[in-house]
Amino acid sequence: MTLSTETRIGRHYVEALRERFPSTVLEEEWQTDDQVTVTVKVNALPEVVEWLYYQQGGWLSVLFGNDERQLHGNYAVYYVLSMEETVKSWVVVRAQVDAGTLEFPSVTPRVPAAVWGEREIRDMYGLIPVGLPDERRLVLPDDWPDGLYPLRKDAMDYRERPAPTTAVETYPFVNDARGETRDVGLGPLHITSDEPGHFRLFVDGETIVDADYRLFYVHRGMEKLAETRMGYDEVTFLSDRVCGICGFTHSVAYTSSVENALGIKAPPRAQMIRSLFLEVERLHSHLLNIGLASHFVGFDTGFMQFFRVREKSMTLAELLTGARKTYGMNLIGGVRRDILKDQRIATLKVVRELRTEVAQLVEMLIETPNLAQRTQGIGILDRKVARDFSPVGPLIRGSGFKRDIRADHHYAGYAQLPFDVKVLDGGDVQSRVLVRVKEFFDSLDLIERALELMPEGPILLEGFDYTPHRFALGFAEAPRGEDIHWSMTGDNQKLFRWRCRAPTYANWPALRYMLRGNTVSDAPLIVASLDPCYSCTDRVTLVDVKKRKSSTIAYTEFERYGRERKHSPLK
Amino acid sequence: MNGIDRGSFLPAGGAPTPISESEQTRQLKSTLLKDIQRSAYVYRVDCGGCNGCEIEIFAAITPIFDAERFGIKVVASPRHADILLFTGAVTRAMLTPAQRAYEAAPNPKICIAYGACGCGGGIFHDLYCVWGGTDKVVPVDVYIPGCPPTPAATLYGFAVALGLLDQKLKAGHHRQGDAERALVAHPGLPLDLCVRIEREARRMVGYRDGRRIADDFLEILAAPANQPLADRVHRYLQTEDDPRLAEVIARLVDVSARPAGQEAP
Repeated sequence: MTLSTETRIGRHYVEALRERFPSTVLEEEWQTDDQVTVTVKVNALPEVVEWLYYQQGGWLSVLFGNDERQLHGNYAVYYVLSMEETVKSWVVVRAQVDAGTLEFPSVTPRVPAAVWGEREIRDMYGLIPVGLPDERRLVLPDDWPDGLYPLRKDAMDYRERPAPTTAVETYPFVNDARGETRDVGLGPLHITSDEPGHFRLFVDGETIVDADYRLFYVHRGMEKLAETRMGYDEVTFLSDRVCGICGFTHSVAYTSSVENALGIKAPPRAQMIRSLFLEVERLHSHLLNIGLASHFVGFDTGFMQFFRVREKSMTLAELLTGARKTYGMNLIGGVRRDILKDQRIATLKVVRELRTEVAQLVEMLIETPNLAQRTQGIGILDRKVARDFSPVGPLIRGSGFKRDIRADHHYAGYAQLPFDVKVLDGGDVQSRVLVRVKEFFDSLDLIERALELMPEGPILLEGFDYTPHRFALGFAEAPRGEDIHWSMTGDNQKLFRWRCRAPTYANWPALRYMLRGNTVSDAPLIVASLDPCYSCTDRVTLVDVKKRKSSTIAYTEFERYGRERKHSPLK
Repeated sequence: MNGIDRGSFLPAGGAPTPISESEQTRQLKSTLLKDIQRSAYVYRVDCGGCNGCEIEIFAAITPIFDAERFGIKVVASPRHADILLFTGAVTRAMLTPAQRAYEAAPNPKICIAYGACGCGGGIFHDLYCVWGGTDKVVPVDVYIPGCPPTPAATLYGFAVALGLLDQKLKAGHHRQGDAERALVAHPGLPLDLCVRIEREARRMVGYRDGRRIADDFLEILAAPANQPLADRVHRYLQTEDDPRLAEVIARLVDVSARPAGQEAP
C-alpha cells in the first residue's frame, strides 16, 4: 500500500528505534496508516521488544509464529505491541528464525507477558525460544506425540489425528509441596456453564500460597482449519464460533484484519452497525458476569434477577440479527443486515427498559453487604503485575490503567462515538464488578447514539481485489478485553496464517498473582472476576504445603464453600 | 483408576470406539421413561464447546424459560444424573473425561447431543484435535440441533428425551411434472432489471430486508401505470414512514432509470 509518510501515525517510534538500535532494523512495512511491521535482527529481539514495551509505553497484545519457508526460506515470529502512551498506534516487531537451527532468543525474561505466546510457538512450530523459563506444553494435549508441529505447512494434513501416546495426563504442575501427595481423581467437568480446566492451588491452611493451572482442554485446531479447509471470506463465520459469548467481536476483529490487509474500507453505515451490535453483545455479557458475581458471593436472588433481565438483551440481539447468539452478521466489506424503522423503535424501547431495570438491580446489589464484604480487597491485581503481563478489559481497568481499544485505536464506528473509559483504582474484585456495571450503562448510551448518528449509504462494499501475501491486524474490544486477529492472505483465496487471540488468553497468566495471599473460599470469585468466558475453577487440587497433603475436591463443593464459608473441604 | 479400565478408551487406529449399549440397558431405559415418578436430573458435559451452547442451557434453566418447572434439574455430578447432555465437538483432551462421565452415570441413562458440534462435530468435525460429534464416543438417544439451540429448542429436546413429545421429522420429495414450470417473480419486468434492483437493494439493506424491499419496489414498478411512478412511490413511502426506506427506494428509482451497465456511483 502506498501511504504518504505524513499521514503515518507512530512513525516516530520507528525513527527512535533506528536511532536507539543502529543497524538493527532490517525492514519497515506499513499496513495501514497506524500499523507498522518492523523486521529486526533476531538477536536484538528481546532488547527491542523490552524497549518498546517499558520505555515507549507499549503493551504486548499478542505474539505468534509463522511458517514462511515458502516465501523466503525462514520461519518468522511477530510480537504485536499496542503503543498507548502519547501517540496511539501499532508496532509489530518481526524477526526471521532460521529454519535450520529453529532458535530465537526468548523475550519472556525481559517482558513476562510473552510467556504464553512463546510456549505456544514451541507447541505449534517447534521453534525454540532460547532462555524461556517455562518449557511446558501449553496448547497441545498431553497425548499428542512429540515432534509433530500442527501449524508447520509441511507437517500434516489438518485432518490427521495421530494415535494417542498416553491415556493419562502428564502435565507437570509447578508444585511447591515436597513429599508424598494423594490425589482423588475428578474429571475436568462440572455443573456450571464453563469450559474445562484444571487448577491447582497450593495452600497453607486456608491461605493460597501459589497457584497453577492447565487449560486448553478445548483446543480444536481452528487456526489450521482456517488455513486449509475454508476460504478467507468464510472464516468470518468460523470466527463467530471462536467464543459463544463474544463471537461477534471476534468476527469484527477478523473482518477488519482482512479489510486492513487488502486496503478496503467498509461503508460508514456498516461500521456503525458493527459498533451497535458490539455494544448489544456487551450488554448480555456484562449482565452475565454481574449475575455470576452475585452468585459467587452467595447472593442468588441477584443472580436470578440479573439473568431474568439479561433475557431482554438476548431478545434485542435476536430482533436485530435474527439470532440470540452467534450472529453471523459480518462479511468482508460490510454487514448482512440493516436497521430499519421497526428495529430502531424496538431497540430504543428495550434500551430504556434495561436502563431502568438494571439500575434498580445494581442498587440492590451494591446495598447487599455480601458484595462489599466478599469483594473488597480480594484478588488484587497489583499495578506492577498488570504492567508486566499486559492483561486486558475490565481486569486492567479495575487496576487503574486506562486501556480500552474502543478509545485507543479506531475501528468500526467508534470514532463517532466518544465515551469516557471507566477506570477504578482498587484493583480488587469489587472494582472489576463496578467497572462492568458502569460499562453496561455506557453501552446503552452508545447504542442510542449509534442509532441517532447512523450514516446513510450502503452496508456492503463489493468488487474489491484479493491480493496474496498481504497481512494486517484487526481488533475489537470484547466485553472481557480486546480480541486481536492477525491475518495473512495466501495465494489460493485462503488464509496463509490466521492468529486469533481471545482476551482471556492475555488475562490468565496474571491470575496466579491475584490468587496468592487470598483464602481458598475467595478463589472462585477471583477467577470469575476475570470473566474468563466463565470461571474455569473445576478440578481444583488443593495442596497443603505444611501438612504435605494434597486432595482434589469437586468444583461444586468448592463453590459451595465459596458461598457459605462453612465446613471447609480442607479439614 | 476407580475400577475403570482407561486403556479401553484409547482410540484404535486413530478413531475412538463408541461405547456400546447392551439390550438389557435399552430395555431398562424404556422402563425408566415409562415409570419415572420424579424429576429428571441432567448433568452437563462440555467436551469442547465454545460456550454458546453452555450459555443457552443457562438461559433455559434461569427464570424466563425455567426448565425446573417441568422437573428438569441440572445436577452437580454424573452419579446423580438420568440425562447426560453433551456439548461441543469432542476434543482430544476431553475424550477420556467425557467417557468417564458417561461411565459414572448410573444405568439406565439418556444421552443428548446438544448443538451443532455435539450432534456431528459441526464446523470442527474433522480437525486434528477433534474426534467428532458426541455419537463417536457414547451412544446418543436425542439430538438437539442449532448453533446454539435456543432455550425453547432445549426444552423441546428435554421433552423428546423424556418421551413426552416425539421428535419432529418430516420429509417430502417433490418431482417436477412435465408441464410444471417454476414461477418467475414479476414476469412483466425484464429479468435484467429485476436482478439489478435486487442487487442494489441487498447492498443497501442486506439479504433479508433487501429482498423484501426489492419485491415491494418491483411490484410498484410493474403495477398498471394509471399514475406516474413518482406518485406511486410517494404513496408507498408515506404509508411506511421510514427515512431509511426512502433513501433505499430513491436509489432503486435511480437504478431503474438507468440502462444496464451504467450503475450509480
